[in-house]
Amino acid sequence: MVQEVMLRLCAGFVKTIELFLLTLAGAIPLGLIVAFGSMSKFKPLKIVVRFIVWIVRGTPLMLQLIVIYYGPGLLFHQNIWGMGTSGRFTAVMVAFIINYSCYFSEIYRGGIESISKGQYEAGQVLGLTRRQVFFKIVLLQVIKRIVPPMGNEIITLVKDTSLARVIAVYELIWAGQTFIKSDGIIWPLFMTGIFYLVFSGILTVLLAKFEKKLSYFN
Amino acid sequence: MLMKKEKKVKTSSKILICALVLVLCAAFAFAGGKKEAASSDKAYVAGKGTLVVGITDFAPMDYKEGNEWVGFDADMAKAFAKELGVKCEFIEIDWDSKSMELENKTIDCVWNGMTLTDGVKKAMATSNPYCNNAQIIVTKKGIADSLKKAEDAKKLKFAVEAGSAGEEAAKENGYNSMAVDTQAAAVMEVAAGTSEACIIDSLMAAAMVGPGTSYPDLTYSVALTTEEYGVGFRKGSDLVPAINDFFKKAYADGSMMKAAEKYGTQASIIPQK
Amino acid sequence: MPILEVKDIHKRFDRSEVLKGISFSLEKGDVLGIIGSSGGGKTTLLRCINFLERADKGTISVNGKVIFDADQHDLTVEQQRENQLNFGLVFQQFNLFPQYTVLENVELAPRLLKRYPDAEIRERSMSLLKRVGLDQKIDRYPCQLSGGQQQRVAIARALAMNPSILCFDEPTSALDPELTGEVLKVIRELAEAKMTMIVVTHEIAFARDLSDKIIFLDHGVIAEEGPAKQVIDNPQKERTKAFLNAIQK
Repeated sequence: MVQEVMLRLCAGFVKTIELFLLTLAGAIPLGLIVAFGSMSKFKPLKIVVRFIVWIVRGTPLMLQLIVIYYGPGLLFHQNIWGMGTSGRFTAVMVAFIINYSCYFSEIYRGGIESISKGQYEAGQVLGLTRRQVFFKIVLLQVIKRIVPPMGNEIITLVKDTSLARVIAVYELIWAGQTFIKSDGIIWPLFMTGIFYLVFSGILTVLLAKFEKKLSYFN
Repeated sequence: MLMKKEKKVKTSSKILICALVLVLCAAFAFAGGKKEAASSDKAYVAGKGTLVVGITDFAPMDYKEGNEWVGFDADMAKAFAKELGVKCEFIEIDWDSKSMELENKTIDCVWNGMTLTDGVKKAMATSNPYCNNAQIIVTKKGIADSLKKAEDAKKLKFAVEAGSAGEEAAKENGYNSMAVDTQAAAVMEVAAGTSEACIIDSLMAAAMVGPGTSYPDLTYSVALTTEEYGVGFRKGSDLVPAINDFFKKAYADGSMMKAAEKYGTQASIIPQK
Repeated sequence: MPILEVKDIHKRFDRSEVLKGISFSLEKGDVLGIIGSSGGGKTTLLRCINFLERADKGTISVNGKVIFDADQHDLTVEQQRENQLNFGLVFQQFNLFPQYTVLENVELAPRLLKRYPDAEIRERSMSLLKRVGLDQKIDRYPCQLSGGQQQRVAIARALAMNPSILCFDEPTSALDPELTGEVLKVIRELAEAKMTMIVVTHEIAFARDLSDKIIFLDHGVIAEEGPAKQVIDNPQKERTKAFLNAIQK
């Protein structure tokens, strides 16, 4: 039994990690684009982007999952996700990446706005292009400043992956819960806590290392 | 400065390990947890003066009318509490957590059209079955016409509640099925077109789909397995013989059938002898 | 022909007109000192010359070629950047790039803009750092340096793009008094080497010794200008006298 439980929990954990990594891979760059949009000098774009960010940050991720997955079929009679597991996974990824991009974008914006004007001007008078100023001068300073808040969000994401179960993506919590439903045993669900703890523990250590690596400058 | 920082990292990893060990211990405490009820459950309920009934909103068994819980199960539960000489209190629970709620003593019984599956029988002590139920296929109207028997549904993609009788029925019939969180989610899958069919309780289907419901475009057709409802208690509880006696009495004096007629479930009641 | 010719520069921020028609010229190898009270428009003038602000009116010419004309809006970003590189600017707050070492700070722009072959960039950077006395600290990060050292790196960095005219915006204002000397010494050496410079400063004595010509800027206009010693030692205008009196007390 223990072996059976561990096997199924591990399978769920693999899905959890997949959700986690793909969300980061999508949301980290997309968040930057959203951040630029929310700081745009072109007012309409700025307003639209900030409105979207407000909606996404102001509603529960669980609700967003349900709306994104069931919404097209229920409201417009046009199910865009097809049937079966791959459509579900795609829908979860879309919801997670959009959600986390918005959270990340606000962190990026705070980081970018905290860099002194002097850094941009120093680059400009040396003849660098705006792109060079951003990528060669500002970006690393922004990264250094956003590592702590990003770390918080990343740890939150580890646990948020469990929301995927509401549209039947079989992640770790789901795997633990099936034992309650089918076999009436509760401990596998508690066991999932260990997976989350170990995983977030490893991430905490990695983030601390990264932070230390950037501590050589102010 | 550097030294200090390294030391900090080490302490924090120590704390982490301690935390892990604690959780491990907790997990295994649950795993090896004692199964015997410490003393009489009946005396425990009588002592605190209330019978706490764990339910979900599930017409026609338990549902709200104004501020009061009514339904066939709700009415029977009230009568049972009266018989025990205690107050009856209803608490809405997360259906997935029902056995945890019981063991945790946050509820005293689960009385909510609960199908007596193998999983349920393993997780709790159960009463004699009191009501028949069928697992039934729900689809969009257009598809229902082509379904005459269970075989015809093999080409459909199903959504079923994980761990439910519907899931077992899907497996027995060799259907291509996907487990979702709840029966309500299974119905939503069909309405949204993310699944073609779902299998839910017939009593629930009667209340949830078809004209005059939230899902007018859906309908139910083929009934698969029939099954039985029972009431769940903590393992080893002496309330089980008490409720079986109560059912016998209520069936014999006609009050059970009277309640059933009130909610339209009379055809499904199992004689209590 | 003067190396720099500034004509009738106007600049307005919202309601207040900060520069009300500034014109002056500068000969190659000369040093221009700009003095005046805070809010007089010194820094704004320097920022207009360095393209950090866009003047509302006026022209700027270098070696007889107009590189800025407020009425002309069709300059491409590249042309503008090229024109701007006639100038180098040393900031009051140094504005070194904190994540780069001393050497990397100096080499960054020439490398990114591929001004010279890599070997030549290294050679030039090393000689510039030697000139400001920091060739022993090339691998340090800005946060490991004193303010005076940081400002000297900033000077080397500005020189790395080989500007025709080097501008200083109150280069010692952010420094502790005991650290100003080393920065002033570097600027003085540059003047001796005939670097064309514009220095906005509060250090009146320094401006007097260093500059060939001084402009006293007051309320957005040039109140007095002339040879350094004449303006400082023997001011003609009442406003200049009042300012010099106040500052020397």
